[in-house]
Amino acid sequence: MSKLLSLGDAIQRYVPDGALIFIGGFGHCVPFAAGHELIRQGRKGLTLCRTGTDILFDQLIGAGCVAKVIFGYLGNPGVGISHSFRRAVDTGSLGVEEWTNFTLLLRLHAGRIGVPFLPSRVLLAGDVPQASADARKITCPFTGESLSAIPALLPEVALIHAQRADEDGNVQMWGIDGDTREGALASRVVIATVEEIVPREVIRAAPERTIVPAHRTAAVCHVPGGAHPSYVQGYYTRDDEHFVLYDRVSRNPNELSAYLDRHVRNVADREAYLNSLEPGVLERIGIARRVHPTARKDARSGDPVEAR
Amino acid sequence: MNAQTEMENLVLATALELADHETCFVGIGVPSLAAMLAKRTHAPNLVLIYESGAIDANPPIAPLSTGSPSVTADTAMIGDCLDVFGDLQAGRIDVGLLSAAQVDRHGNLNSTVIGDYHKPKLRMVGSGGAHDIASLANRVVIAMPHDPRRFVASVDFITSPGFLNGGGERLRCGLRGGPHAVITGRGRFVFANEELQLERSFHPFSLAQAVEGFGWDVPVRPGAFCFNGFDDGARMVARGIGLSAGA
Repeated sequence: MSKLLSLGDAIQRYVPDGALIFIGGFGHCVPFAAGHELIRQGRKGLTLCRTGTDILFDQLIGAGCVAKVIFGYLGNPGVGISHSFRRAVDTGSLGVEEWTNFTLLLRLHAGRIGVPFLPSRVLLAGDVPQASADARKITCPFTGESLSAIPALLPEVALIHAQRADEDGNVQMWGIDGDTREGALASRVVIATVEEIVPREVIRAAPERTIVPAHRTAAVCHVPGGAHPSYVQGYYTRDDEHFVLYDRVSRNPNELSAYLDRHVRNVADREAYLNSLEPGVLERIGIARRVHPTARKDARSGDPVEAR
Repeated sequence: MNAQTEMENLVLATALELADHETCFVGIGVPSLAAMLAKRTHAPNLVLIYESGAIDANPPIAPLSTGSPSVTADTAMIGDCLDVFGDLQAGRIDVGLLSAAQVDRHGNLNSTVIGDYHKPKLRMVGSGGAHDIASLANRVVIAMPHDPRRFVASVDFITSPGFLNGGGERLRCGLRGGPHAVITGRGRFVFANEELQLERSFHPFSLAQAVEGFGWDVPVRPGAFCFNGFDDGARMVARGIGLSAGA
């Protein structure tokens, strides 16, 4: 059965207001296109979770889609703080539940493997446990050691971006995974945007690359360029300059709103988004060459030539 | 001029904290630069581990994100977060390199809020992997620019535990390891009785300049001196890496 849907239809069908959403992508394969669709459709009251966030969290907070964040790190990687997050904390309009990257990962892992908690050796000291994280001290029944119990987290929906999938919904991703697989498999519904839809045989010739099998995938959406300004290994590189530009823009709510109008609210789809970027960007990150339909592909693996 | 000297000193001195064949959990910014420098100079077999899952990485340029293309460009293995945090918790990582907005006299780090947690003057990024590294690495090295606002008697929020309030509290909480050294562009600090003290300054800075503006009277270790021995070759390599994070 084909799981192919347009991104608009997939978000419409599977993501209600108020949903608890895992956002995939650890610097790599961040699902910006899917996040932008949430903004376009005006979702409200969402709870977002993941370990180390990207500026997509800032955009969703700035656009007014988010009621609560559950995270290990929330900022603009390597550039600075998240300005929309800061403003939302200042006004008290955002629920904040903070963990650490390891403990948020353990929460997702516990959810994925079906246990109510996992023990760990962190959150034993300092202010993170008291201020926000709902970890409990436990005593190991075998050794008597003091440990933290890290509760499971079960997102309703995972939004992830990956290199490719088949129509059935077998999703393949390689390069940095981070917590993407854990978060996706902990979630009830998985929506994947991908650079390419490939024949079944391509998936089955390299099954070790599959991170979500078809029976766990609700929808697959063909969205080339869907991870910009993050990157997709083998397809296009990271647009570091965009993260610096975004830091400047997001300091001012009016400028941020203009940015969101230009790149998100007033573009119909991903192609229009890519065309809304500054001239030269697509060439600089290599997206024009790699994602274009005529890009050369390896006959057996289906990889774009020059990939990896 | 002094700013560039301080930045170079900071990277050079942090690199010297890392020994060949060690495993090192690396953060973004000065930690990455220092680990890259160490690997290009005295520690070619240093194993760089990034929280994104890259193991034995060798970034050609300083990455902006632990998941950046530069982190995977010349790496031996891409695992996932469970692989690397699992190794960290299992005690298999020798040294963690950290930076933060604030550090205090007991080596506690703050990257969460300036001011009160519930009504902060500045909301920052939070722990990321820093709490985990500070709790679990066998040895922790802290790299900080010399900035009086960053060196306070007591941090506003303990994101990443050092020796907490001292007096063995860290051990009583069930945590091993702990901060080993704090490096700035002006000096190297170590811990005695779980409290920060100045061990050396870096030329051209005097011992007094190394603690200038700090939020408490920092003890000076007996025999503290001004170090002027950074390797010229290593300094050239540091300049070649580019002393600011880039991609």
